[in-house]
Amino acid sequence: MIMHGSMAIWLRDMQVLRRAIFSELVAVVAYPLTIYLAFGIGMQSYIGTVEGSPYSLFIAPGLITMTAVNAAYNESVWSLWFHRRVQFTVESYRVTPISVSEIVIAKIITGFTHGIIKGSVVGLVIFAITPFRFPLEHLFYYLLFLIPGSALFSCAGVISGTIMDKPETIGKVEAVVVMPLIFMSGLFFPLSSYPENIIPWVRAVPTTALFEGARRGLVFGEMSPVHVFQVSISAVVLFIASVLIFRRKMSE
Amino acid sequence: MPWVPRVARFMESSDMPVSSIIIRSLTKQYANLTALNSFDLEVEQGSIFGLLGPNGAGKTTLIRILTTLMRQSSGEVFIEGLDTRTNGLKIRSMIGVVSQENSLDRYLTARENLVLHARLHGMEKSLYNRRIDELLELMGLSDRQKDFPDTYSGGMQRRLVVARALVHKPQLLFLDEPTTGLDPQSRRAVWEYIRSLSGSMTIFLTTHYLEEAEQLCDRVAIMDHGRLIALGSSQELKDRLSGETVYDIELERDVEHYSSLLGSMPCVSNIRRIDNKIQVSLEHWECLSEIVTALNGAPIRRITLKERTLEDVFISLTGSGVRG
Ligand SMILES: Nc1ncnc2c1ncn2[C@@H]1O[C@H](COP(=O)(O)OP(=O)(O)O)[C@@H](O)[C@H]1O
Ligand SMILES: [Mg+2]
Repeated sequence: MIMHGSMAIWLRDMQVLRRAIFSELVAVVAYPLTIYLAFGIGMQSYIGTVEGSPYSLFIAPGLITMTAVNAAYNESVWSLWFHRRVQFTVESYRVTPISVSEIVIAKIITGFTHGIIKGSVVGLVIFAITPFRFPLEHLFYYLLFLIPGSALFSCAGVISGTIMDKPETIGKVEAVVVMPLIFMSGLFFPLSSYPENIIPWVRAVPTTALFEGARRGLVFGEMSPVHVFQVSISAVVLFIASVLIFRRKMSE
Repeated sequence: MPWVPRVARFMESSDMPVSSIIIRSLTKQYANLTALNSFDLEVEQGSIFGLLGPNGAGKTTLIRILTTLMRQSSGEVFIEGLDTRTNGLKIRSMIGVVSQENSLDRYLTARENLVLHARLHGMEKSLYNRRIDELLELMGLSDRQKDFPDTYSGGMQRRLVVARALVHKPQLLFLDEPTTGLDPQSRRAVWEYIRSLSGSMTIFLTTHYLEEAEQLCDRVAIMDHGRLIALGSSQELKDRLSGETVYDIELERDVEHYSSLLGSMPCVSNIRRIDNKIQVSLEHWECLSEIVTALNGAPIRRITLKERTLEDVFISLTGSGVRG
């Protein structure tokens, strides 16, 4: 059987997720929902419309995307660290007849699955409390971003969880790199708010392509192949990097 | 067809015992520390082999290389004739490993831990379920199989790890300090389980308890600072100590007097006084009658021959007791 090792580890991760799904989801939904209520609804009358759409609609796709990529990143980074450094379960996988790549691929898929599940649930909740409706094809365009976006952040999480041995470092990187990347990618404001001369630089960052493209897809039904390509190619690059970095770490 | 070392082929075709593990001038260098230094060893199929050494001797390093978790700096290792550098997957499918840390998954129940391991070995459900029932029974964990390992005692966790290493019926079992940190009773229980496996597979264990090696192992290697310093059955190793025999003579009183009397005798090579006991080392056991004559009329409580232990071997080889 090919990749039976990845399958076994992924099934283990899903079994553990299933067991705690309710409390996990409550915790995961609480944050974006609070932001949505406070900014989208509370500040609505002060902000009015942004780029022609009501503010609560403007931030909704970003909140879903943020939940998904955050969940993917967090699951991967902590799971890698915990199984490597605390439980030594990675060690116990490594004495079975599976390859090191199978272990890291399983962990990437697990992070990705967390992202998709948690993002979808937040999406459903926001959909339930908001009056806005959109055609089904917009959802399709949105998924073209959410899927590679979650994969991208899961790979980034795996890399961080492989390189970093201390939990403090993981917390710091999240505060200094991951959260700013997400918040500065046009989640709460249009990119046009940036000074003219740095906009090209901001656009070059894959997270900007992700948040911007995802919003345009969901709200306006616009399809932007360049953005999809930008996110997907970054995901592929990080995937290859995470497999190589993990393999290298394991051979130390 | 993997390349089989000449020694292994030769052995298979003769009546000589077959080697499960062959280690040749194995060296492992960590930065500027030599953890293993030209280590040579062969382990016979079906035996229980004990690697004895103090903390930091290089035992875990050796096990990690044998179980393909780590690459050596130089030298070679063959597991059932297969080179560890090129046959990782194949070797891992036939070995079971109990690592120094427990490495149990605390988010899975005991049974789920075993199921995961069976799946990693690509076993079919129909096959592994029966096998897992058997193992839980053997390790005395059946009625706790739905509990999480966190709720287990240290000894039970260790038995679960041993069970996990056995799910796929390995030909070789590696145990890195299987009883370190356990109370004497749990330690004995683990010994019982290990002993019950003997003969059905090759068992390679490391320990820094002399008693464990002595109780459990057919053959013992003693190592320190990455080097092999002695090899043999525990009896052979004890016999290798100098020809001296040591007696403890316990007296009611007059210990001072008799100890200076015995100390002046030519056939007594060494003498120590411990409370009301005199420990005499004799050049030959034949000297004993002279001693008995000299002690005529003394208030003797008892005379005992001091059994030599692996500890003595260890001290005589390394010049110190077992660290840690
Ligand atoms: N990954 C490592 N990097 C550097 N030194 C190490 C590493 N692992 C072990 N050592 C050192 O190698 C020596 C042997 O260690 P080890 O094999 O764990 O001994 P034992 O298992 O007999 O206690 C020790 O001095 C230890 O500090
Ligand atoms: Mg050790």
